[in-house]
Amino acid sequence: MSELKLQRLYIPALFLLSAMALGGCGKKEDDTIVLRVSNWEEYIDLGDWDEEEIIDLADGTDIYGENPMVTDFETWYYETYGQKVEVEYSTYGTNEELYNQLTIGDTYDLVCPSEYMIMKMMRENMLVPYSADFYDAGIEENYYAKGVSPYIRSRFEELNIDGEALNTYAAGYMWGTLGIVYNPEEISQEEAAHWSLLWNEDYRKRVTIKDSVRDAYFAAVARLYYQEITTEEFLAQPDYHEKLSELLNRTDEATVDAVEKLLAEAKNNVYSFETDSGKADMVTGKVLANEQWSGDAVYTLDQADEDGVTLCYAAPEEGTNLWFDGWVMLKKGIQQDPKKQQAAEAFVNFVTMPENAVRNMYYIGYTSVISGGDSDVILNYMKWNYEAEEDDEDTVEYEVGYFFDPDALEAGERYSFLTTGDQTRRQLYAQYPTRDVVDRSVVMACFPDEDNKRINRMWTNVRCFDLKSLFE
Amino acid sequence: MKLTFLEKKHLVIPYAVFLLLFVILPLVVVLYYGFTDGNGNLSFENFIVFFSGTKTMGTLVYSLVIAVITTVVCLLIAYPVAYILAKGAYCRKHSFLMIFVLPMWINFTLRITALKEILSVLEGNLAYYPFVNTIICMVYDFLPFMIMPLYNSLSKLDSSLLEASADLGATSAKTLWHVILPLSVPGIVSGVTMVFLPAMTNYVVLDMVYNSTYIMGSLIGSYFSAYDWNNGSVISAILLMLIGFFTMFTGRVAGEKEVARS
Repeated sequence: MSELKLQRLYIPALFLLSAMALGGCGKKEDDTIVLRVSNWEEYIDLGDWDEEEIIDLADGTDIYGENPMVTDFETWYYETYGQKVEVEYSTYGTNEELYNQLTIGDTYDLVCPSEYMIMKMMRENMLVPYSADFYDAGIEENYYAKGVSPYIRSRFEELNIDGEALNTYAAGYMWGTLGIVYNPEEISQEEAAHWSLLWNEDYRKRVTIKDSVRDAYFAAVARLYYQEITTEEFLAQPDYHEKLSELLNRTDEATVDAVEKLLAEAKNNVYSFETDSGKADMVTGKVLANEQWSGDAVYTLDQADEDGVTLCYAAPEEGTNLWFDGWVMLKKGIQQDPKKQQAAEAFVNFVTMPENAVRNMYYIGYTSVISGGDSDVILNYMKWNYEAEEDDEDTVEYEVGYFFDPDALEAGERYSFLTTGDQTRRQLYAQYPTRDVVDRSVVMACFPDEDNKRINRMWTNVRCFDLKSLFE
Repeated sequence: MKLTFLEKKHLVIPYAVFLLLFVILPLVVVLYYGFTDGNGNLSFENFIVFFSGTKTMGTLVYSLVIAVITTVVCLLIAYPVAYILAKGAYCRKHSFLMIFVLPMWINFTLRITALKEILSVLEGNLAYYPFVNTIICMVYDFLPFMIMPLYNSLSKLDSSLLEASADLGATSAKTLWHVILPLSVPGIVSGVTMVFLPAMTNYVVLDMVYNSTYIMGSLIGSYFSAYDWNNGSVISAILLMLIGFFTMFTGRVAGEKEVARS
């Protein structure tokens, strides 16, 4: 090819390239707020639902996820505040992964860790408090303040670090319990009502425990103090709840040593310490029971239903771990930019708008902290999902008043509905546990670093090959 | 073509940059964390913690056992296969080779997922035999990495040497032992290197076959997820040293053979 011809080709190509480069530069307008959000994987509605998936509530509201929630937020924000916002959305798999990302220098404005990680971040002074406006229920757009369940809010207020309550820095997103998904054909409801099921040798190599220090630790501590917790004396104490919380959060050396023994036993008894395979293995029947978070339990049960397998969920009698994931704003990201903070708070309000909370719940199976305030959407969604049909025979009254209103008893029937008997052991029970379950639930504290170290070492010891076992 | 502004030695620049950014720099970081404490002071504490703990040493032993068994089994299976492929009188030798190497084209987690289904049919509950299943899956995973170098080395073997050996009255066993094996040592060494070291750290396989015992890779991961960069790094450094010793040793063995040949 002669030089002339080459030039002819080059010059337009160069023009094209430079035009593209310029176009790329000029695209972003200066006043667009860029909001960097990082959330759990598969923890928000990504839209694109099928037509027949429309949730048609009894009051005539139709809820439908057409676009991803994040895109809807960008549109809504522009329509509401006349300001463009662009969300850079990314995800993480565990709280520790998020924390590690933050320590190696990734910056986000808004993230959604679990309560103990929120407390750790509070302790390390990484967070920006929510503005006073955010909790003003008088403002139209403050869906979080208007809609958050009073029960969840009060449990949030119980938690504090150095005298500062959790809700100063965190707005709840999803919550739930830790329990056991089991196959009712092989395991009785009575057996599943105790953490000891996971150590039961009758089901050797057919149960799983989560491959997470904290979840394994909780189950083992509850198993360890089972006798003490379930005595009538203990249950009758006026400060039962504090005592239970204290006991299930113990990290003294004797407890950690005893837990190490228990988990070493469990290691021989479990199918695996499972991260993700548990759900599928339950459906195929390889595993008969697994330790599971309530939201994953709902998902597992749904999947099993599709395959014609009936599974159940139990929140053990000794006690369960009540957990929350909440939105927190990071100092390093927000950097005292009021516009950015406002957009971050608006994001929280948008995803907790009752209709949007329903979309997220439908999409991911977890339970939103939103009870809806004046809006009946959440209760109607519960009914849409779980209310018994007229011709169902085995029906029971299911009461969830505590979630909506602490004075629910006065409010009468408003917060209960008829459901089929099996739902008291299935998705409904996992998604919206009954009062007795939450009464025996404790939030797992953010252990001091020193205790965490010992517990992590204990877990490593459990998982490592024990040379001594060769000589026994 | 004559390279005017681009001299030959400049061609190394891309790789040098890569080497610096993704090999040397991370290595420095690993060594820094490995030999400092949480506050950045020089310390051999992490080193001592690893070698004095029965549990951490247990992990080292367990990883070594898995790696050794995997390597030996791979070698035993791969050697005859490679020999037949290299020396056999097949008209479609390359197609056969392809069949053995084909699995490498598929991601190993997918392959093991498939293998698990076969194993469950044979064994029932996989969780009863975590160790055996680990070995089976490791062997399945690494076999092509053993076959390839062996095949390369055996196919270079001069057939006239074998004829000479037979002419001089050696039995085929003797020929194998005194001629073929010594001449294929470089292939064995590179095959062993490619299998042994990854097998010590490939913890995904263990996770997949429900083996709840840590090996070196999972131990490093567990330290990192607990924000313990120092203890995690020192284990990486220890692995590096092991690899170093191993390559030095095997390099010398292979070197001696080269010398012996010439």
